[in-house]
Amino acid sequence: MPASPSYRVRALSVLALFSVGAGSLAGCSSSPSGSTGDASAKPEAATITIAASTLGDPGRGPALQKLIDEYNASQDLVKVEPASVPYPTFGQTILTQMGGGEGPDLVRFDMPEFEAAASSGLLEPLENKIDAKKLNLIPGPDKYLTVDGHRYGVVFEDSNYGMYFNKDLVPTAPTTFDEFLKAAKDATKGDAFGLAFRQTQAEEAGVWQDIFNYVLGFGGNWSDGTKLTINSPKVVEGLKAYQQLYDANVIPKGADAATFRKMFTDGKIGMELNNGGYVSHVASTNPNLNFSVARIPFPVKKQGALLAPIVTNVNSKHKDADLDFINWLLQPAQQVKLQEVLGASSVATPTERSAASLQKFPFLPALDELTDTGVPQIVEGFGQYTPDIRHVVVTEVLAALQGQQDMNAAMEKAQKQAEDLVGK
Amino acid sequence: MTERNRGPHVLVRSPGPAAGTVAGRRDGLNGRRRRSVTGSPWTPYFFLAPAALYLVVFQLVPLLQEVWLSFTRTTLLNPTFSAWVGTANFQSIFANPAFRQTLLTTLVYVLACVVGSVGLGLGVALLLNGRFPGRPVARSLVTIPWAAPGIAVALIAVWMFNPQYGILTRLLRAVGIDPGASGVLDNPQLALGAILVTTIWQLVPFVAVVLLSALQAVPQELVEAAQVDGAGRWTIFRVVTWQVLKPTIGLVAVLMTIWSLRRFELIWLMTRGGPIGSTRTLVIDLYAQAFESKQLGTAAAIGMVGIVISLIVIVGSQLVARAAAKEA
Repeated sequence: MPASPSYRVRALSVLALFSVGAGSLAGCSSSPSGSTGDASAKPEAATITIAASTLGDPGRGPALQKLIDEYNASQDLVKVEPASVPYPTFGQTILTQMGGGEGPDLVRFDMPEFEAAASSGLLEPLENKIDAKKLNLIPGPDKYLTVDGHRYGVVFEDSNYGMYFNKDLVPTAPTTFDEFLKAAKDATKGDAFGLAFRQTQAEEAGVWQDIFNYVLGFGGNWSDGTKLTINSPKVVEGLKAYQQLYDANVIPKGADAATFRKMFTDGKIGMELNNGGYVSHVASTNPNLNFSVARIPFPVKKQGALLAPIVTNVNSKHKDADLDFINWLLQPAQQVKLQEVLGASSVATPTERSAASLQKFPFLPALDELTDTGVPQIVEGFGQYTPDIRHVVVTEVLAALQGQQDMNAAMEKAQKQAEDLVGK
Repeated sequence: MTERNRGPHVLVRSPGPAAGTVAGRRDGLNGRRRRSVTGSPWTPYFFLAPAALYLVVFQLVPLLQEVWLSFTRTTLLNPTFSAWVGTANFQSIFANPAFRQTLLTTLVYVLACVVGSVGLGLGVALLLNGRFPGRPVARSLVTIPWAAPGIAVALIAVWMFNPQYGILTRLLRAVGIDPGASGVLDNPQLALGAILVTTIWQLVPFVAVVLLSALQAVPQELVEAAQVDGAGRWTIFRVVTWQVLKPTIGLVAVLMTIWSLRRFELIWLMTRGGPIGSTRTLVIDLYAQAFESKQLGTAAAIGMVGIVISLIVIVGSQLVARAAAKEA
């Protein structure tokens, strides 16, 4: 008996569904990088976009673009193009685009935006696609890229904070906080200042980055992973050290980062705590500056790190191509090149510095050694709330600097406000 | 038939409804209903449609969406999902002492902007209305601050208030006002003042130019008659000039109020609402909630507060204007 038309339609539908399902499964399994770093599988031909604030950096942008061009030339299927996003609003712009179902395929995020995007389901989980052991990813920073049990990225750049010092103003690197304070005072004379850091509300994010080093360096942290510890004695101790330097009049008060960084490259600032990315900037702005970098001389060997993962946008239509680029970038040869591009920053895997780099910047190993003790500038366990907690903490710290309250009271208030924010 | 050959009755009705307005045309035709130029009663609607469509699409729809958002919990990271929370956003912002401080700061900022810009603008307009050598050049120069882009103005102001080498900081110190080592913009007592000075400096030319044009409408025969009657300058200003300027000043004051309520770039670039929230106005708070805290619902609630304040100002000014007209 011939099949009735409705039966035929149903049978065809089942067949079509099966085909689609099988196709999807096949698509998953044949994902080139789904094989944990196996670069042999081929992605579908596609043009994908990458957004990275590094691309807009006059010092490092062109070199990164060159590396991307190298990937494009290495195969015919995938073409990576830069997405132009203005730096000052980079995170906001990308998050807004992603929230609206759009955005670049690949993004180099800073940690607060990474946490926000990951906890909102805007990033593609990569735990089944990246094999950390096989790729030899450095575990210290890598552990921060797992949110709620899912890996959402791999390290693109890990920039440790160190103490930059002008050897003409500070001949010997201080090794204790007292020496640090004394060196700052000694170097403050005429139009030169011993130290510089951010201390205005207009640079809230920068102040947060700066005070992070003081808090960590004195043994504190904003949380223990499950509970906020903003008012803990160690946090207050670190912030009091920050305030002590502010009150010592050894910094150009009111000067923003752009100004005091220009002053540093002009030889008018003795010391500055900054991340590894700053090396390229200083060296390119004033090649004759007699400077070096050492470990921040605070009691505890722990400091902030500007950790920046590369992630895949969950809205990307070419996830296999995205993964292919990520896997290519994680190969040892590319990691060495990426590290050269990024200057003094570390990358996802252990790499050897070139002889030329070491000769030019002999202090690089000192910065690299800090990778395991670097802490990304988020509130651990409360990553998505970091911008709000940052606002609360920075506002209260600045009120203390202005003499409106003491640091203990400031952090008590910040603790309460932050607890209200996170609902704990 | 053109407007002109409809007869002089229409054209001499000034200062009543203008000749070209519907009221003017109706009066001019002694109440007779005029046929449209093209003969179709739909023609006016046809010409109004683009503007009406624009208003609906770009004003009304976003406004309604904002109203709806303000009653929901919506985040920037997932704007397609909203949970209805009733008035919770409004309750939470009004329960927050920082928001009450923001409202107060906004009130102070707006009032100072309006009083400062209208007061100084009126002074400049009166000066420019007088006769003196180089008046055309002065009239051109005075518009420069208004023509300067807001971002450039903010960046230059930051530079001028720089605690180390800013010329305004040095000037303050020279007259005995010490803003402290961290400078004016980082001093909670002085930061709002610095922003106000910058804002008013930028607004004054606009007010001055508008009032200067209004001053041209002051009937000289009335001024001369008052002079003949022995009236002094102040009396002439109060009895003649002020009466002519009043409607324009009212309009300018409303404009200044609304513009000041929504001014963002100058404050954001100069202080980002700091130090310690001393320059945090409604718009800065709205931006911070939407793009830093990523809470679109709360940001929309703050926006609604701003809209309500604007409406109060507009309706209030209309009522005052109507009462004044009745009195006259």
